[in-house]
Amino acid sequence: MASNILNIGKSALAAAQIGISTTGHNIANASTPGYSRQVVVQAAAQAQNYGYGYVGQGTEVASVTRIYNDILAAQAVRSQSNSSSADTYLSQMTSINDMLSDSTAGLNPAMSDFFGAVQQLSTNPSDIATRQTMLSYAQSLSSRLQTTNNRLNEIRDSVNTQISSSVNVVNTYAKQIASLNDVIEKAISANGSTPNDLMDQRDQLVLELSKQIKTTVVSQGQGGYNVYVGNGLPLVVGKDTFNILATPSPTDPSRLEVAYQSNDKVTVLGNNSLPGGVIGGLLQFRSESLDAVQNQIGQIAVVLGDTFNTQLKQGFDLDGSAGTALFNIPDPVVNASAYNSGATTTPANANPAEVAAKIIDAKALTTSDYKLQYDGTSYNVTRVSDSTTQSFTSLPINIDGIAISQTSGTMLAGDNFLIKPTQNAASKFTLAITDARKLAVGGSILSANTNVANTGAGSISSPVASSSYASSPLASPFNVTYNAGAPNTLTGFIATEPVTVTSNGTSVTYAAGTPVTFTNGATITTAGVSFVLSGTPANGDQFTISPKTATGPSDNTNGLLLASLQSADTITGNKSYSDAFGQMVNGVGNKTRELSILSKSEGQVLEQVNAAIQSESGVNLYEEGTNLIRYQQAYQAAGKMMQIASQLFDVLLQLGT
Amino acid sequence: MRISTNTIYQSGISRISNLQSEQTKLMQQISTGKRISSPSDDPIGAARALEISHAKSINSNFTSTRQTAQLKLNTLESNLTSVTNMMVSIQSSLVSAGNATYSDLERGFIAADLKTTLDGLVGLANTKDSSGNYLYAGSQTDTKPFVANATGATYAGDTNKLLLQVDSSRQMAVNLTGDEVFQAGGNDVFTQLQDLVNLLNTPLTAGNQAAFSAGIASGISNMQKSLDNVLTVRAGIGSKQNELDQLDISGSDLDLQYSKSLSDIQDLDFASALSDLSKNQTIMEAAQKSFVKTTSLSLFNFI
Repeated sequence: MASNILNIGKSALAAAQIGISTTGHNIANASTPGYSRQVVVQAAAQAQNYGYGYVGQGTEVASVTRIYNDILAAQAVRSQSNSSSADTYLSQMTSINDMLSDSTAGLNPAMSDFFGAVQQLSTNPSDIATRQTMLSYAQSLSSRLQTTNNRLNEIRDSVNTQISSSVNVVNTYAKQIASLNDVIEKAISANGSTPNDLMDQRDQLVLELSKQIKTTVVSQGQGGYNVYVGNGLPLVVGKDTFNILATPSPTDPSRLEVAYQSNDKVTVLGNNSLPGGVIGGLLQFRSESLDAVQNQIGQIAVVLGDTFNTQLKQGFDLDGSAGTALFNIPDPVVNASAYNSGATTTPANANPAEVAAKIIDAKALTTSDYKLQYDGTSYNVTRVSDSTTQSFTSLPINIDGIAISQTSGTMLAGDNFLIKPTQNAASKFTLAITDARKLAVGGSILSANTNVANTGAGSISSPVASSSYASSPLASPFNVTYNAGAPNTLTGFIATEPVTVTSNGTSVTYAAGTPVTFTNGATITTAGVSFVLSGTPANGDQFTISPKTATGPSDNTNGLLLASLQSADTITGNKSYSDAFGQMVNGVGNKTRELSILSKSEGQVLEQVNAAIQSESGVNLYEEGTNLIRYQQAYQAAGKMMQIASQLFDVLLQLGT
Repeated sequence: MRISTNTIYQSGISRISNLQSEQTKLMQQISTGKRISSPSDDPIGAARALEISHAKSINSNFTSTRQTAQLKLNTLESNLTSVTNMMVSIQSSLVSAGNATYSDLERGFIAADLKTTLDGLVGLANTKDSSGNYLYAGSQTDTKPFVANATGATYAGDTNKLLLQVDSSRQMAVNLTGDEVFQAGGNDVFTQLQDLVNLLNTPLTAGNQAAFSAGIASGISNMQKSLDNVLTVRAGIGSKQNELDQLDISGSDLDLQYSKSLSDIQDLDFASALSDLSKNQTIMEAAQKSFVKTTSLSLFNFI
C-alpha cells in the first residue's frame, strides 16, 4: 500500500515538474512572434479495483498541447494579405501623390508660365528678347515634363525590383514550409505527439508568406499543409514545392510580370489571378494607377506639342518663312511579343513582321495602350483601358488618332503587338527650334474665300497647312467649283495633285485631275492643304484657296491663335491642357485617399484578428505567474505525500523490530 | 476577455503612434498655413485650386497685355498731339498766305515754312516707339512707312492692325496705320502740302490769280478734313484707353475673387487647427500616462 502511495506521489511530482517546465517555456516565449501558449493536459491514472471499490493510482500527463484556433489563423492569413496589399498600393501611390503636391515647381506652373510667355509673344511679336523668353519657357516646360516622366519611370523600376524580391521571398518561404511539413509529419507518425513549436514556426511562415501573396492553406490528415497562392495555384504540396518567377512581359521587356512554373512550363499570371499581398498591391498599382498617370501626362505632352506645332505651321516666322514645329513629339512605342512567330518557331517565319505606329490626330488620342493581334484573317485591335476590340481586314489601320501600319515582314496567325501611344511621350518631349526668329507668330499662310457670286449655301473652313506644306507651298490660288449632278462633284483642283476626301474616318483618294465626289462636311486634302466644304452649294459655286505672303515683323495674327490654345478644348473629352492635368491630379488624390482609408480599415481588421488570436493563444504573464505558484505548490504537496508514504513505511519497519 | 501581455503593449503603442501621426499632420498644416498639402488631403479642393490658379494666371497675363496696350496707345496719343499742333499751325499759315497784299517773296517765305512743316510731319509719321518699331507702318514695323518725294510722300507700310488680346473675349487694335492717319479717304496730307508749297512758290500773275485763290481755299478745306480725321482717330484712341481702364478694374476685381476663392480652398483655419492640436496633445498625454501605469503593474512584484 505504501509503495502505491509513493507511486502516486511520484506521478504528482512528475506532473508538477512538467507543469513548471511548460509554464517556464511559455514565459520564455511570451514575445516570440507566432508562439501559441502551451498547456499540460493532465488526466487521472487508471484506478485499481480492490473489490471494495476503485482506488486511484495518481495522475499522468496526457499531452502538452498548444492553444491554437485554425479558423482564426485562416482569418489572419487572409486579412494579412489584404492589409499588406492595401499598404503596398498606398505607399506607391503616395509617392505619385507627393510628386504632384508641389504647387510651385510642378507641371502646372510650368504650363502657366509657358502660356504667359506665348501671350507676351503675341503682344510683342517683333521683340527678339520676348521671343527668346518664350523659347526658354518652352524649354523649361519640356524639361519639367521629362523630369516628371523620369520620376514615374523610377517608380516603375522600383516596382520591378520589389516584384523580384517578393518572388524570391515567396519561393524561400515555400521551401521552408515544405521542409517543416516533412519534419512535422515524421514526428507525428513516430510517436503521435504534435511538435508544437515546429507547428508554430510553420504557421508563422504561412503568415509571412501571406504578406507577399494571397495564400490559402489546406491542412492534410497527417499534419502536413498544402499551400495555394493567388487564385488556387499550388505552391507547397506536402514535401514538394512549385516555383513562381519574375519574368519580363512578352510584349514589354521593361515590365516584370509574375509567372508560375510547373513541369518546365512557365505561365505568365495576369493581375487578376494574383490579388492580395505585396505582389498583388504592386501589380494593381502599376496597371491601375501608374500606367494611367504616365499615359495621362504623355497625352497632355503629345496634344500640347501637336496642337502647337500645327498652329505654328499656319504662320510666318520673323524672316517671312513658313512656320515649322516647335516641339519634337516621339512616335508611339510598338513592342512585338516575344512569342511572335520567328525563325525558330513552328510554323517558322523567316521574315517576322514589324509594326509601326504614328500619331495622326492628337486631339483624338486616348490615354489607353492598344493590343494588335492577328488571327490569320483579321487584325484585332483592343483598347486596353476598356477592353473593346475592333477587327480589320488589312493594315494600315486608323484608330483613336493613331495610324498602325506594317513596315516589313510577314505576319502569321497568333502574332501580337503592344502599342503605347503616350506612355513615354513626355520623356522625349524636346524642342525642335533653337532660333527664336523661327517662331511663326505672324500671319496665316493660307486663306479661303467664298466667291461673292455664289448662289448656294455652301461654306469653306479656314484651310490648314500640313507639315509638308512649308517645303512645297502653293504657287498660285486655285478655285474649287461645285458641279451639281449625280453625283455632285468638285473640280478645279491643281491638275498635278491627287485629292483625298476623309469623312467619318474613311479616306478616298482621287487621282490628279479627276472630278472629286462632294461629301458634305468631309475634309478635303490636296497639295498639303486641308479644308472642309460644308452646306449646300449651288451648281457653279466657287471657293478660292490662296497662298498668302508674309507681312511685317509686328504681325501677330498667328500669335493670337497660339495663345488661344491655352483655353481651347484640345484633349479628348473636351478638355483643355490644364483641365486634363487637373483631372489627373484629382484622380490621384481620390485614389490615394481611398487607399489610405482602405489600408487603415484593413489594418484594423488585421489588428482585431490578431487581438482575437492573442486573446486565445497569447501568453499572459500574470496567468503564467499564477500557474507557477500552483505547480510549485502541487510539487510541494506531492513531496509532502512521498514523505508521509516514507514515514508510513518506517512505522511498519519499527513494528517488526 | 483574456488579454495577452503582447496585446497590452501592442495596443498601447499603436494608439500612441496613431496620435503621433495625427499630430505631425496638424503640425505640417500649421507650419505651412495650408489645409491641402497634397492632392489626397482634399482631391476636389486640389483640382479646384489648380483650376482657379490657372484662371488667375490667365487673368494676370491679360493685365500685362493691357499694360502694353496702354503704352502703345499713349505713345500714339502723344505723337498725334504733335501732329494736331502741326496741322493747326499749317492752317494759320495758309490763312495768311491767302493775303493778297503779300509779295512773291513773302509767299516764298511761307512756302519755305510749309516745306519745313511737311518735313516735320513726315518725321512725325516716321516716329519709332520705345522698342524701335515704326508707329504707323502696320505690321512692317521695321520699314520706314513714309518716304518723302517730289509730290509729298509715299506710304511703304501695310494696312495690318496689331490686335492684342486685352481680355478673354476682347481683341483690341492698338496701332494706327499711316494711310488711315495721313491719307484717309484719298485726302493725302503730304501731297496737299507739297501742292501748296508748289502753289506758293509760283509767282503770282493776273492770269493765275483766280487759280491761286481757289488753290489756297481748297488747301484750307482739305487741311481741315485731314485735321478732322486726326482728331477722329485720336478720339478713338481715347475711348480705347477708357475701355482698357474699365477692363483693368474688372480684371483686378476678378483677381481679388480668385485669390479669395484660392484662400478659402487651400488656407488653413488656424483656430480649429490649433484647438485640434491641443486636444490631440491632451489625449496623447493621457494615453502615455495610462500606458505607463498599466505596464508597470506586475504580479511578479508580489511573488
